[in-house]
Parts: sequence; structure tokens; C-alpha cells
Amino acid sequence: MTELSQHFFEDVTVGDALPNLEFTTSLAALVMYAGATWDFHRYHYDPEFVKKVGMPAPFMDGQMLGALMSGMLMNWGGRDAFVRRLSYRQRSTVFEGDKIVLSGVVVGKSQEAGRSLAHISLNVTKDDGSPVSRDATASVELAMRNL
Amino acid sequence: MTRLTPELLSWVGRQVTYHAPESLGAASFRYFALALQDDNPIYHDQDYATASRHGGVIAPPTLVCETNQIVQQKPNADGYIGHHWDLPIGNGRFIRGGNEYEFHQPVRPDDRVDVTWTLLDIYERPSKQKGSLVFVISEARYINQRGELLATNRETNVYAP
Repeated sequence: MTELSQHFFEDVTVGDALPNLEFTTSLAALVMYAGATWDFHRYHYDPEFVKKVGMPAPFMDGQMLGALMSGMLMNWGGRDAFVRRLSYRQRSTVFEGDKIVLSGVVVGKSQEAGRSLAHISLNVTKDDGSPVSRDATASVELAMRNL
Repeated sequence: MTRLTPELLSWVGRQVTYHAPESLGAASFRYFALALQDDNPIYHDQDYATASRHGGVIAPPTLVCETNQIVQQKPNADGYIGHHWDLPIGNGRFIRGGNEYEFHQPVRPDDRVDVTWTLLDIYERPSKQKGSLVFVISEARYINQRGELLATNRETNVYAP
């Protein structure tokens, strides 16, 4: 069993950086996500098909970015954490072979309706630095140390 | 000339609900996390999760927002089986604009999900590179078998000419 370290609300400070998440968009990774989400659109695995519609290679579904961001937030928050809100706009398409880097920084904290929230600004780029996301933000409910 | 025909605009306000025939099941959580190379034990380790505030394994947050399996239709020519508004908008490129998720409660293995999609808005914006872009805003609400709201997902899709 892998124990995740918890990030407690009291210990989080505005400006804290989350550990980056790097993800390599192999065809196998695209196929596994497509399978896990019953998304059999040829966009995600059929090189001939995507060329016919003017795309260079199979590509990631937009919601896979949200899934990766959520996973990064859940791992950072630890055992008791829960993502309450996540929004992002997509600036560019992630293709087979692209390596992407997800980063995040704490930009605020609040307590509302009995929830202790850390507000995170997120950013996704390709490894050449080109932007993938725009206006990506999230709120993560964290455990309290003194409860 | 505007691409917003009266026929297209008549789609605003349309609603459709899909009912899952079975509960999600814990294996679907493990599969989803595996695909993301995410070994967070909260999604698969019953002992670890039982000791947590959640009291048991929970789904990766956005899993419930992927509902292709609920729609229960045969693959179309592109292989797609999920929800799709059959908009009268031509055959231009479809671009994902973004998502806004709110997660109201963690999703459990025994949750059986109903999703209701509502088409909230359609508007047009000029683009220098691509010509007139049509933006379609939809919202999905996911509830479980007890009628509890699990999540909402506001999605922006863009249709190029």
C-alpha cells in the first residue's frame, strides 16, 4: 500500500507549488484512456482517419486533460482530499508523441460551508513550452489538522 | 452572413437524459486510474480508503463526467458512441473549448448514474484565422440512484466552418 502524504489546510501557504506531473502521450496511453471511458472515436487511435480530417496524428480527448489535472490535485491533497471545482480552456491539441507538463500553484485559501479549500492555478504546456491550457483553476478540499 | 440559422438556434434549451443500466463498479475506477498512470490508493485500496474521510474507495473525480457507456447507442461512422447534439451546422471541424466541473460528492462503486444534458447557449464569434466560429455551451448534471447530485459539467464546444 502506498501512503500518500497529506497536505493539511493549515499547512498550505499561498505561493506553494504543487509537484509537476509529466505525461507522455503514447498511442498506448490514448488507447487505454479511450477504453476506460468507452470513447471509441477514431480520433484517438486511427492515424489514417485523423489525416483525412486534417490532423497530423491521433490526439487526446479534451477531458483527459481534466482527468490528469484532477489526478494531480488528488495526489497532492492526499488521502482525505477531494476536488470540488475544476475549470480550464484548451488552447492546443495534444497529439500522440507529445510530452506534456502539468504545474500548479496555490493562489488562495478559504473556508466556506464547512469546507476548507485551497485554490489552485494550473498550467499545462508541451515540453517545448507551448501552452495547452488557458485559465485553468481548481478548488481542492483539504483535511484539517486540528479537527 | 451569420451561421446562426433559426433552425440551429431552436436547439437552445433542448434536454436529454440517459440512464445507466448498472452501477459503475470499483473495477471502472481502477481502469480509469491505470489509464492515467495514477496509483493513488484512494481509488482502489479498500483498507486505505476505509480509514479515510471518504470511508471507502471513490472514483477519480472526472470519471463520472465521461458517460459514453450510459448512452447505449451503436458506434457511428467515426466509432463514437457517446452523447452528441445532432446540430444543423455543417461538417466543419469540431474543437473542444473547455470544461467547468463542480464535484458535489465523491462517486462510489455502487452509484448508478443518470445524466441530463441541456443545451444552454449558442453564439457566434469571428476569428481571423478560421472564419466564423460557432460556440455551443452545454451542461451535464449527474445524479445517482438516490437522486443525489454528484457533479455538473459545463462544456464549451466550437464548430469551425
